[in-house]
Amino acid sequence: MARAVPNSRKAINTAVAWTIAILIFFPILWTVLTSFKTEATAIADPPVFLAFDWTLENYTAVQERSDYFRHFWNSVVISLGSTIIGLIIAIPAAWAMAFVPGRQTKNVLMWMLSTKMLPPVGVLVPLYLIFRDWGLLDTRLGLVIVLTLINLPIIVWMLYTYFREIPVDILEAARMDGAGLASEVIYVLTPMAVPGIASTLLLNIILAWNEAFWTLNLTAANAAPLTAFIASYSSPEGLFYAKLSAASTMAIAPILIMGWFSQKQLVRGLTFGAVK
Amino acid sequence: MATQHSRAAARFMIAPSVIVLLLWMAVPLALTLYFSFLRYNLLMPGENPFVGWENYSYFLTDPAFQTAIVNTLILVLGVLFITVLGGIGLAVLLDQPMWGTGIVRIMVISPFFVMPTVSALVWKNMFMNPVNGLFAFLAGTFGMAPFDFLTQAPLASIVGIVSWQWLPFATLILLTAMQSLDSEQLEAAEMDGASAWSRFWYIKLPHLARAITVVVLIQTIFLLSIFAEILVTTNGGPGTASTNLTYLVYAESLLRFDVGTGSAGGVVAIILANIVAIFLMRMIGKNLDA
Repeated sequence: MARAVPNSRKAINTAVAWTIAILIFFPILWTVLTSFKTEATAIADPPVFLAFDWTLENYTAVQERSDYFRHFWNSVVISLGSTIIGLIIAIPAAWAMAFVPGRQTKNVLMWMLSTKMLPPVGVLVPLYLIFRDWGLLDTRLGLVIVLTLINLPIIVWMLYTYFREIPVDILEAARMDGAGLASEVIYVLTPMAVPGIASTLLLNIILAWNEAFWTLNLTAANAAPLTAFIASYSSPEGLFYAKLSAASTMAIAPILIMGWFSQKQLVRGLTFGAVK
Repeated sequence: MATQHSRAAARFMIAPSVIVLLLWMAVPLALTLYFSFLRYNLLMPGENPFVGWENYSYFLTDPAFQTAIVNTLILVLGVLFITVLGGIGLAVLLDQPMWGTGIVRIMVISPFFVMPTVSALVWKNMFMNPVNGLFAFLAGTFGMAPFDFLTQAPLASIVGIVSWQWLPFATLILLTAMQSLDSEQLEAAEMDGASAWSRFWYIKLPHLARAITVVVLIQTIFLLSIFAEILVTTNGGPGTASTNLTYLVYAESLLRFDVGTGSAGGVVAIILANIVAIFLMRMIGKNLDA
């Protein structure tokens, strides 16, 4: 039984928590607000918080400066592509390990995890040279391949922790009722596995969207997703805060919203099931 | 019960994942090792003779290497210190009853979803810039001279930016762990007259121990490879003041095109990461048996 908490204490908690939360969130809020200012207002002294003439001009300026939506599209293709290919490879593996565990299952899982511990910089040189020789540098295909591989261990692990929670008794019950393997998979297992697969999909799109080692090192003008494109704002060019903010806002908004919906899965996915 | 037949099918289903990961691991790794023993510079085409440990002795005795190791340690330990302490504090706070928990949680975890290049550039320009940044304005209102963060304290500034990105991760994991704490135990302690502090110190903190270890290990793996934040804020500078091991290897390989030395550096990075990885793997492996 949870006891009633006096309202005064609840009020103090609320005040403290909201203050801290707003401070933490402030840089994001400030970026979004700045994206609607003119460049002059963006650096106004003293800074203006809300009372300014809201404008959308930065969003068009960003598109004109260099084809913003191509980079946005690159991000979409690369993160979705690598996640979906990863799922196609990983689902059978996770499925088999969860439902037909053998003596080696644990070792295989641990070994897969160990590939994730490899620092990317340790294989930067050969990968760069292989990509150069095979004409994969600055292509979306190249990045899809790399991101599929670096996220595959996380995908297998997440799916495994979800599949393992599906009670095997249900399968036996279905078998007793005369279900064949096909109908077992279609009518019994799939509906129970879909939430886990969806969560894995969501988390991996987020990870792939924000990946910023390989995207920066293996792309240039053509295949650069938003992570690499935004980096081009690191060399200042006159007044650019409002344009930087507009480009940033569009880059983070879709993922931020997906992230809000996947808090729980994030914990499971990023700790490899060690914290649930 | 698994049959012979289903075992074969299982192996067949696992094979693709294992094969692609094996290729992904083995081929580049073998090449890195191989290159690390060659004199191999992309700007000097021609033969790439075997030079033994030369690249290693060059890389390891380079003063930039020692700086990079120290910087890597400061970066990892600094961010861990801030995010773990902050994460524990926030987890305890967010676990309390309050109004608007959902929105508070969303605001606190948001920085984690911001891509590294965006957070680094936003902090660099809109906050830390000594002329137009918000911090400079704040300093001005208090009558202080503006501080050029990324020039005068580049590493500390990067620690700050990266901590902002990872604090949500620590908070979220520790909060999840906190919520699995049995509330009856806490209530019993309270009835027995335990103060808020001793409830935290003797019940909550020990309960969080495992999750804290997981946070420390996982963050360490990622923090050893911090790259984008350095690239877009300081380029490792001024000089090598904010160059970590990852950035140094990148600079050797793709800026100076010295494949041999870069590869030797890559091997050093792998060895360092493995030391951490061994502990993390043990923790996760134990959990798998449970």
